[in-house]
Amino acid sequence: MAREGDRGASGGAEDDPPIFNAENLQSNIKSIHYSRTFLSIIGGVIAGIWGFTGLTGFIFYFLVMAAASFGLAAKAKFSICTYFDSWNRIFLDGIFGGLMSFVLFWTYPLVRKKFVVNCC
Amino acid sequence: MRIGFMVGILGGILLAHAGYATIQYRGMLKIVEEEFSRPPMNVVVELLLGLAFCIWAALAAPAKFRSIHPDSEENRIVSLPANLDFMIFNHRGKVFPCNAEYKLKK
Repeated sequence: MAREGDRGASGGAEDDPPIFNAENLQSNIKSIHYSRTFLSIIGGVIAGIWGFTGLTGFIFYFLVMAAASFGLAAKAKFSICTYFDSWNRIFLDGIFGGLMSFVLFWTYPLVRKKFVVNCC
Repeated sequence: MRIGFMVGILGGILLAHAGYATIQYRGMLKIVEEEFSRPPMNVVVELLLGLAFCIWAALAAPAKFRSIHPDSEENRIVSLPANLDFMIFNHRGKVFPCNAEYKLKK
């Protein structure tokens, strides 16, 4: 029976690319994206409150992302091939995208404080 | 998922409280004319606790991972729709290998 979005690739030969359920793969990738974005924001807030400056803040961000990667791998029961098409999805995707959100929330209280102090 | 949300909200509340405590601490430091280097230890503990809760919520709240293999147990189609008038079975899917040993899933 026909089912939309069901097959990523198909064929009858022996060395064909593997077939994935594209809908489930996309749902899994979206789930990772939500997790990483949320943790980037939370990481930025914590770095701002703690008072990190310079390289320390970026090191803190990569530590939070490493913890997130480990947590995501654990959520996938450490069998990445069952839920994703590549290990990069868990360990690399979304790290540099979240960096901008982190910097925004990290520096926001400092910028606001400077602006308010200069105005008054 | 609901528990994930509640834990995330609790983590957010902890972070907000830690932020407020840090602002109060900085105000106090301004009065005694000292430089701010890091918040007090109890605020640091609160920040780490809030981070732990938020990491847990970030992993638990979004949807569970679903298997991407079409022949995995959770992707099996276990029943046909009630109206079979528009179902087509003579299509290109017949080139896929067939596992004749599948039992009916109850």
